[in-house]
Amino acid sequence: MSANDRIREQVTSNPVVLYMKGSPAFPQCGFSGAAVQMLKACGVDRFQSVDVLADPEIRQGIKEYSNWPTIPQLYVNGEFVGGADIMREMYQSGELQKMLETAKA
Amino acid sequence: MTTPEAIQGYIAGGLPCAHLEVEGDGQHFRAVIVSEKFAGLSRVRQHQLVYQVLGDRMREEIHALSLETWTPEAWAAKAGAARG
Repeated sequence: MSANDRIREQVTSNPVVLYMKGSPAFPQCGFSGAAVQMLKACGVDRFQSVDVLADPEIRQGIKEYSNWPTIPQLYVNGEFVGGADIMREMYQSGELQKMLETAKA
Repeated sequence: MTTPEAIQGYIAGGLPCAHLEVEGDGQHFRAVIVSEKFAGLSRVRQHQLVYQVLGDRMREEIHALSLETWTPEAWAAKAGAARG
């Protein structure tokens, strides 16, 4: 399966997917750590995380998939939501909480 | 080492900005960008526009760049609100 197909499968078979550096317990980058904290603050305890450091093909592929050069990247219900900056803006305005409400199940 | 001034030049060279601030320590940068080009675009599209202007520099030169993007209208409204 190509990286593109693997990513499509990941983001469509899980309501909330975070591509990050490291794991939620041990983030390897401050931006990834902040993204995890925001998801938790929104009440999302269980989400699919993908460690791009463990998978070079995904690390490159995810940047092409979303036309977005940085990690972390958040996907909700298959849609690319944004990186750490956009997550923070949406969290501060309450939009992120609202969007994640629909994906919590 | 990349400087905030260099990044400011890259962005200003590819995007008409009504206001542009870049600060950073050579590794992590933060840019506040106000441009009429952002009008009508989602936040994702606004950031993609900036990344497009920076091109390969985002991969090679710039380790981390936080973006804050505003349309001139939103920026003026924010300034007005801050003055209260």
